[in-house]
Amino acid sequence: MARDVTEHARPPRAVFLPFMMGHHFGVPFHQALQRRVLLECLDHLVHATESGEIRDLPLTWAQARKEGTEIERTLGRGGR
Amino acid sequence: MTAGSEADASAPRQLRPGLWQTVNERYPGSMITKHDLVPLAPLRKPLSECRVTFISTSGVQPKGTTPFDTVHPVGDYSFRRVPSSARVDELEIHQLKYPTAGAERDLNVIFPIDRLRELVAEGVIGGLTDDFYTFIGYNMDPERLERTLAEDIAAAVSAEGADIALAAPA
Repeated sequence: MARDVTEHARPPRAVFLPFMMGHHFGVPFHQALQRRVLLECLDHLVHATESGEIRDLPLTWAQARKEGTEIERTLGRGGR
Repeated sequence: MTAGSEADASAPRQLRPGLWQTVNERYPGSMITKHDLVPLAPLRKPLSECRVTFISTSGVQPKGTTPFDTVHPVGDYSFRRVPSSARVDELEIHQLKYPTAGAERDLNVIFPIDRLRELVAEGVIGGLTDDFYTFIGYNMDPERLERTLAEDIAAAVSAEGADIALAAPA
C-alpha cells in the first residue's frame, strides 16, 4: 500500500500491493484476488531468503477494480 | 476472468507516493524508522501444519466491545481480540484514517477472515489461532507503540502458539 513506509519500518518480510488504502486484499466480492494476495504472502514467507525483502506483485488497482466491477455485475450487485 | 490479471507493470508504484515523508513532516517523529533488520526467522514446518494468526491496524472489532478511541490526540494503544471463528456480520470497524467503502460491503478486503478459514478448510494452512488481533494505526508515539501495544500483541500471539503472524496495515 505504502511501499516507502514499509521501507522505513523494515519488516523481515513484506508484500507490496499497489492498491487503495483500506483495500489491501483487493476489492469487494473478488474472492480469487483476496485469496491470491494471502497465498502470495504465505509463499513469500516460505521462500524469502534475506530479511527486509519486499515482494512486488504485478497487479494494478485499475485492473482489480475492473474485475471487481464485473464480478459485482455478475452477482447482481450493480458494481461500482 | 483471472484474479488480478497480470498487468504490464514491472515496477508497481504506490497510489499515493511520498507518504512517509508527508506524514512525518506534518507530525514530526510519528513515523516508524528502523535502521536495522531483524534476523529472518525460517519456517520450521510445512505451511499445512502451521497455525496462523492475523494482526491488523484496521480497527475491526466484535460488535459490543469497547470502541477504539479514534479521536484521541495521541492515539489508542489498546488492542482487541477478534475470534477467528467470527462471522463478518458480527464485526464492525472503528477507524477514521482510511477509506472503508470497500470494507463496509465486504470486510475481507481489509480483514480476510473468510479467505483464511477457507485456506484452513483446504489444508493449505494447518489452522488459525482462536483470536486475531486488531488496533488502530493512528498512534503518534512509535516508541510507546513498540514498548506497549506491540509487546502486548506479541505476547498474546505467542501464548496462542502461532507459527505464522500475518500483519496488515490499513
